[in-house]
Amino acid sequence: MFGFLNKVGDYTRDAVGAAKYITQGLGVTFDHLRRRPVTVQYPYEKLIPSERYRGRIHYEFDKCIACEVCVRVCPINLPVVDWVMNKATKKKELRNYSIDFGVCIFCGNCVEYCPTNCLSMTEEYELAAYDRHSLNYDNVALGRLPTSVTSDPAVFALKELAYLPKGVMDPHGVSPTAPRAGRLPAQVIAAEASEPS
Amino acid sequence: MLSNTVVTEGLPSMGLDLQSSFIEALGGLGLGPGLARLLWLPLPMLLVLVGAVVGVLVNVWLERKISAAAQQRIGPEYAGALGLLQPMADGLKLLFKEDIIPARADGLLFTLGPVLVLVPVILSWLVVPFGQNLLISNVGVGIFLWIALSSIQPIGLLMSGYASNNKYSLLGGLRAAAQSISYEIPLALAVLAIVMMSNSLSTVDIVNQQTGAGILSWNIWRQPIGFVIFWICALAECERLPFDLPEAEEELVAGYQTEYAGMKFALFYLGSYINLVLSALLVSVLYLGGWGFPVPVEWLAGLMGQSVDAPLVQLITGAVGIVMTILKAYLLVFFAILLRWTVPRVRIDQLLDLGWKFLLPIALVNLLITAALKLAFPSVFGG
Amino acid sequence: MTVASSTQLVCFVILSSTLVLGSLAVVLLPNIVYSAFLLAGVFLSVAGLYLLLNASFVAAAQVLVYVGAVNVLILFAIMLVNKKENLAPIPGMALRRLLSGAVCAGLLGLLIRVAFTTPWALPGPTPVGEDATIRIGEHLFSDYLLPFELASVLLLMSMIGAIVLARRDVFSTDIITGEPADQVLIEKERSPLLLEPTDSAPLRSSP
Ligand code: SF4
Ligand code: SF4
Repeated sequence: MFGFLNKVGDYTRDAVGAAKYITQGLGVTFDHLRRRPVTVQYPYEKLIPSERYRGRIHYEFDKCIACEVCVRVCPINLPVVDWVMNKATKKKELRNYSIDFGVCIFCGNCVEYCPTNCLSMTEEYELAAYDRHSLNYDNVALGRLPTSVTSDPAVFALKELAYLPKGVMDPHGVSPTAPRAGRLPAQVIAAEASEPS
Repeated sequence: MLSNTVVTEGLPSMGLDLQSSFIEALGGLGLGPGLARLLWLPLPMLLVLVGAVVGVLVNVWLERKISAAAQQRIGPEYAGALGLLQPMADGLKLLFKEDIIPARADGLLFTLGPVLVLVPVILSWLVVPFGQNLLISNVGVGIFLWIALSSIQPIGLLMSGYASNNKYSLLGGLRAAAQSISYEIPLALAVLAIVMMSNSLSTVDIVNQQTGAGILSWNIWRQPIGFVIFWICALAECERLPFDLPEAEEELVAGYQTEYAGMKFALFYLGSYINLVLSALLVSVLYLGGWGFPVPVEWLAGLMGQSVDAPLVQLITGAVGIVMTILKAYLLVFFAILLRWTVPRVRIDQLLDLGWKFLLPIALVNLLITAALKLAFPSVFGG
Repeated sequence: MTVASSTQLVCFVILSSTLVLGSLAVVLLPNIVYSAFLLAGVFLSVAGLYLLLNASFVAAAQVLVYVGAVNVLILFAIMLVNKKENLAPIPGMALRRLLSGAVCAGLLGLLIRVAFTTPWALPGPTPVGEDATIRIGEHLFSDYLLPFELASVLLLMSMIGAIVLARRDVFSTDIITGEPADQVLIEKERSPLLLEPTDSAPLRSSP
């Protein structure tokens, strides 16, 4: 008899608990209704990628020494370094260089290890194409500089979350000169240097 | 069907009666009352059909906008001001899409399925009252008709699930049928408690029994448990989110709708949204006083020194009634949308557990308690 | 003939022809799924006939019970056991068909005879209309109480049968160890849906 009553009691407690948690959840959802949308209207507004954004790779043909380090450090041996040995000068002659961005995972290893720093990562991320073969960039395509979001007159550039002042979530209407949350490494060093220790 | 259901004339002095005015007006033009009545018949049906479709459009827009707000998005914005035309655009898109019947599917059943899903839902609008005489037909079995009609739906779902020749569709159809059978029983028991209190199955009588003291006489105060049970079951019957297992996209692609495209898919879509609006309307009829204003209109009219029977007062009462019904219903729709983004989907065994082991016993106890209270306090719980 | 009566006649003809053709198709169609769906149509047209007789409560009950419950369950069973199996042809199929056809025809003849020999009182009793619900309730709880209760006993029996069928795979001994198994343990423990926060495992609080 009491076992049954206990069961009923447990049951009721479960039900009340469930109702309580659902109400709490509803409260959270309801609270979100009165927050402003954080939508970035993409083709018209774009976020400024952060400084260390790992986008499409930029390549400088003239600096490359065809050492193939980039190929060796790449997890998928992706860069294609097309060179011939010039018997007369006993030097490698670079003819072509290409990276297929349909395959690249943007890990940045090649950029990290290139001895002559001829590779670098840009902020370009709009790599959509109708044909995947057109993502195979040759040295000319790799040498193009990306258009910066901030210099494009057709685009309204918005700050990313990391660049916003402390406590601000919505990038719309934030003054371009407003300082970001936290300090830059240079500011930290400057503060350290001025500290009379 | 309509020609045989008894259209009660309504108490002559209560509320405005458009039908008798229409027949009288046509009689003035020299038409017999039989013919005038025949002319009258399609009008409210057409009106309610259009109303239901417009209600769905509003509902789709609300769903998109509220979902967007809950996720801090903007939602549809470019189609019309505030994206108001977006549901129209959706509908047009579906209308112009190619109608695909998959190879080796059963063409006849495949086409019949969505129709069988939609038609009972639309028929159920027969009994939704927006005012004393503002409904298609005050059928005596009122709310029972709705329960009976909504039990036809699973056949359509099973049909389309079977005819699609697709395992996900079949599973979705089976789930839908199991779900609606299990949740129909607590739903009917919750309705039964209300019916017991108002001594009538007719929706108009149920609302009339809740007028008198305005918001205080609404059934929600006398049947709080019944209200919760009814709303949970109605959500389950509409396959709204915590219970949308038949079309759970992570498990079953889209359940019984998987193979559908174009207008047939639109029929499913329309059916589920009409059903949601209908359920919300019925909740407001059964528990929230239907067309009743929170403060009794008679009292307000008395305060302003107007007779309740004055034509102007009657017109205003009718308008207020329609607005109140729709307002209450859309409040519940808003709640359903909020719930959609709050509660995660339950598992199929949890769903059946909830139906059979939780809602059914509670609904039974609720019914018994209501019966006991009715015997003990006949003045409060209807005699 | 007034508009109402001609409508009634047209409805009657449509409903009864769907009824007859549908039930013939239910019996004769080789595809069992079609038969089951057509059965729903037959039930619906019976409900329509009830409506024509001004018995709206019975019509709604017919739809709810037969279409909504019985037929859906039949469909459910068919679709869960939708196994393609080539059955061995039964010997003497033609004779069996002939026999069952003869029995049905005999039944039909008997019913027709009864229908024509009974002195029907015309016009029949006036339909009670909306009061039917109350009258049905009164009858069920007074002079038809015994059949009503018997029907509920029947339902109880079938329910117990269903439970026995569904639970037949509960063994009294553990198959692997051969030890007697505790029946209680075989039942899956109810999964703890709501974890109460304890000190060792506090629930993460929502913002
Ligand atoms: S590592 Fe740098 S220098 Fe060497 S081949 Fe690659 S790109 Fe050229
Ligand atoms: S970024 Fe990584 S994957 Fe891409 S080319 Fe460089 S090393 Fe290879």
